[in-house]
This record gives sequence, C-alpha cells and structure tokens, in this order.
Amino acid sequence: MNAAVRTAAISDTEPYKQEVAISLKHLRKTFEDEDGNLVEVIRDITLDVREKEFISIVGPSGCGKTTMFNIISSLIEPSDGEIILRKWRPKERRGSQIGYMLQRDLLFPWRTILDNVSLGLELSGASKAECHDKAYDYLSRYGLGDFAKAYPSALSGGMRQRAALIRTLITDPDIILLDEPFSALDYQTRLVLEDEIVSILREFGKTVVLITHDIGEAIAMSDRIAVMTQRPTMVKNLYDVGLARQYGSCIKARSDARYQTLFDEIWADLDIQLGAHRS
Amino acid sequence: MSTVLTAPSSPAVKKTRTPRQRRARQIILQDNAWRCVIIGLILLLWQTGVDHKFIDPFLMGSPAGIGAEAWRMMLSGQLLTDTMATVKATVIGFLGGSILGSLSGLLLWYCKRLARILDPFLIALNGLPKISLAPMIIIWFGSGMFSKVALAFIATFVVATLTAYQGSHQIDQSLVNLMRSLGAKQQQIFTKLVVPATMPWIISAFRLNIGFALIAEIGGEFISSDTGLGHLIFVNGNLFNLNAVWVGVLALMVVAVALYLVVSQVEKHLFSWSRQ
Repeated sequence: MNAAVRTAAISDTEPYKQEVAISLKHLRKTFEDEDGNLVEVIRDITLDVREKEFISIVGPSGCGKTTMFNIISSLIEPSDGEIILRKWRPKERRGSQIGYMLQRDLLFPWRTILDNVSLGLELSGASKAECHDKAYDYLSRYGLGDFAKAYPSALSGGMRQRAALIRTLITDPDIILLDEPFSALDYQTRLVLEDEIVSILREFGKTVVLITHDIGEAIAMSDRIAVMTQRPTMVKNLYDVGLARQYGSCIKARSDARYQTLFDEIWADLDIQLGAHRS
Repeated sequence: MSTVLTAPSSPAVKKTRTPRQRRARQIILQDNAWRCVIIGLILLLWQTGVDHKFIDPFLMGSPAGIGAEAWRMMLSGQLLTDTMATVKATVIGFLGGSILGSLSGLLLWYCKRLARILDPFLIALNGLPKISLAPMIIIWFGSGMFSKVALAFIATFVVATLTAYQGSHQIDQSLVNLMRSLGAKQQQIFTKLVVPATMPWIISAFRLNIGFALIAEIGGEFISSDTGLGHLIFVNGNLFNLNAVWVGVLALMVVAVALYLVVSQVEKHLFSWSRQ
C-alpha cells in the first residue's frame, strides 16, 4: 500500500493523542454469492485510526464501507487480516467497546424515547431505575428531556437521530462508528446536527469513524479523511484536514480556503475511479 | 401511572371541546342516525310486505315473528343457554389456538432450519378448510363441547402460527444488528425485539381468527351437537321455523361483533404508541 499521506499543515488548537485506537491490518473480505461465485468486496484495508480522532471514510457507493464497519464491530468476520484494538479486553466481545450509528435511526416505535435510549444499558443487565436515571440525564443534557416520554413517531428526523446518538453513547463505547448518519436528513438539519455531533463526541473524547459519500461533510467534520477505491476496496489516499477542530465549528470549516482545495482533490480521487469503472 | 396524572384534567377537556371536535362528534351521531334509519326502513318494508302478502313469512320469516320468537326464547332461557355454549367453546378454542399458535410461530424464529422444513406443511394446512376435519374430530372427541373447542383451536392455531412466523421473519436485519452491536444475547433479541416487532402481525391474526373460530364452531355444531347457536339454527332450519333461524343468526352477529370489539380494545391498549 502506497497511500500518499498529504499534510495540510494545520496547527491543531487542541491536539489529539497520536496513539492508535484501532489498527486494521490487511483486512480482506470475500462473500459467496447465490451461484457460489466468490465476490471480493474488500481487497486490502490497512488503516490506523488514532485515539480520539475523527476520521472519515469516503468512497464510491457500494464500495464495501459498511462491510468494513460490520467487520470492525464484529458483526461479521473478515476473510483475512486482523483488527487490533488498543484497549483490548480479551474476555469481552469486541463490539462492546464499539458503538454503531446508522443512517436510519432504528428507534423501536413501541418504546418511548427514554426506553429506546436506555436499550443498551438494559441489555447489559442494569436495573430499570438505573437505566432511566442515566438515560434521562443524557436526554436532558442534549435537549430531548421534554421528549423522554414521547414515542419516536412524535419526533422530527433530526431529533430522532440525536436520540439514536445518545443510545449509542450511553453504553460508553470508546469508539463510535457512524454509517452515513445524516443522509436521510434535510440539508439544514444536517448542518446543525453535524456541528452538534462533532461537539458531543469531542466532549466525550471519543474516537470516531464516519462513513459518508458526502465529500463536503467529511471535510467539514474530520481530522483525517481516507478515500477508498471502487470495489474491491483499498485505501487510496489519506488526507489530513482538522478544519473543524481548528475552528470549533463545522459550518465555519466550510468557509476555509482549504475546504475547496481538499474537495477538488478528493473529488479527483473519486472521479478517476468513476471513469475507470465506466470503461 | 400516567392515567393518574391525566385523570383530573380529562373532565375539563370534555367541557372545553373545540368547535372542530364538536363537529366531528356531530358527524358520528348523524352517521349512527342514518344507520338506524336504514335498519328501520328494511324492517318496515319487510313487515309491510308480509302484511300485504308480497312476502311469504313461511319462507322468509317476518320482523314481528322474529321479535316474538326472540322474546319466547329469552323467556325460556334457551337463547342464553345456546349463546353461552357457543361463546364458551369459541372463546376457549380461539384463545387457545391463537395464543399457542402465535407462540409456536414466534419460537420458529429461534430455529430457522425447523421453520424452513415445516413451511410447506403450514402452507398446506393453512389452505385446507378446517371444517373438513369436523367429522373426524367429532368421532374422536364426541359431539359435546370439547370437539367444538378442538375445531376452533385447529382453525385458529395454523393461522396464528403462520402469521407470527412470517411476521418474525420480516424484521429488519438492521434492527437485529443493532441489538447485537449493543451486546444483546439471542434470548434478549427475541424478547426485546422479535416479540414486540411481531405484535402487530399477531393481533391481525387474532382479528382474522374470530371469524375462523366461529366458522369452525358453527360448522361443528351443524354436524353434531346438542346445544349452541349452530344447533339452534340447524334444528330450526330443518323445522322451517325461519323466525327462530333469524334469531340464531342475529345472536351470532352480536357475538362476532362483541369478540371483535374486545380484540380492538386489546389492540388499542397494546399499540398506544402508534397513535401519537
């Protein structure tokens, strides 16, 4: 892998630790399709995710990003390669240190927001009162306290996504995987939520990996961006960004001059593959 | 708990109905009035036809005759005895079949292999008109209440099993993944996701099953019985006592509507979340 690492020479106002949180080494995944043919989805992903950084994975749609997430959170096993977590607790399931948030909020319609948010605690065997106290605490802190007793159908898309984020955070995982969490939202809500989520996750000191196909979103939110190739996936390029950290706001990050430069570079990376794909 | 909180405020809410709510209530009242008018018109036309010899009361019965017959049967206690016999057997068979059927269907979620193997049997049994089993069931269990319960049970069990099983297999895999990513064990996925997510399917099976249980029940009573509304209808039909047949049919209708109302109330209670 000769992934070119480009440095945009940004002085971090709040430098993140450089230790590696997750290390993916030569991950490979092939599936068998219905006819018994082997389909190579991931060829070779080698990537170090640093402690407390916000890294985005950008790639053409259907390039196996979600498969990569499923492997990291141990929902499926890789065909080859290894995943090394810094805080490896051998007796524990790998997934317990990893929180997962998806494009759809996946709130259970039959549970109140409070019960939805406390789901993870409940599953780990905490008492009902304990779950509710902690959940209520989190909900109030993030402006959903008044909706604790409401059912998800009463909430707007943005509020539901916020509830889904709280559900992920409440079990206190070290690493948060975000799988296109904004793509079902309208543009304004999206901008607001991007900022909110970045600041919440930073406040908790989480390591975050975001999957997105929205280049602008990746630049506005991330410390680093990994651009993936078309399937079978490899890491094509790594970019240092850090605009959100510098400005403390994703919206301000979008007005920086480097935003457009990065956008063009990443777009070029993707475009080459689109062209190659067509031929 | 929440009802305690809302109870004091509800009378106040009733007094201060908005114009729109008042209008909605008025419309409901008007609809009900129209329904009464329709029934009244039919009865009036029917009775007038009988009185003027357009309609043969021997073949059709007459509203006055039906009323008199109903009164007679109520006084003798026969109507109540027959209705209760039918309701009892239907409800026991219906509840037993629907509940056990739903449980079996849900448990098939645990064992995908078994579900796959049993699938064609369930489909075949589901298509089979269960009333065709009545002669056998009556030979096995006699002509008493037990055979009717068994028939209603069989008729509802298969529908409930199939519906619950299909419902549980349509759960979004992402929800299962979410549960797993939160560290849920298989049993927790079952109780906290599969069961509640399948509830709407189960309740719809319950609603269908009211009809199926009554068909099986009445069919069984037609074939062999000594009591019940089916018995009443069948015997009086053979005697050409059409007025008594009508009384039996109307009583059955009341039973069906009552059971339906009970299931809707349960549904309303279970799915309060969907009305927000």
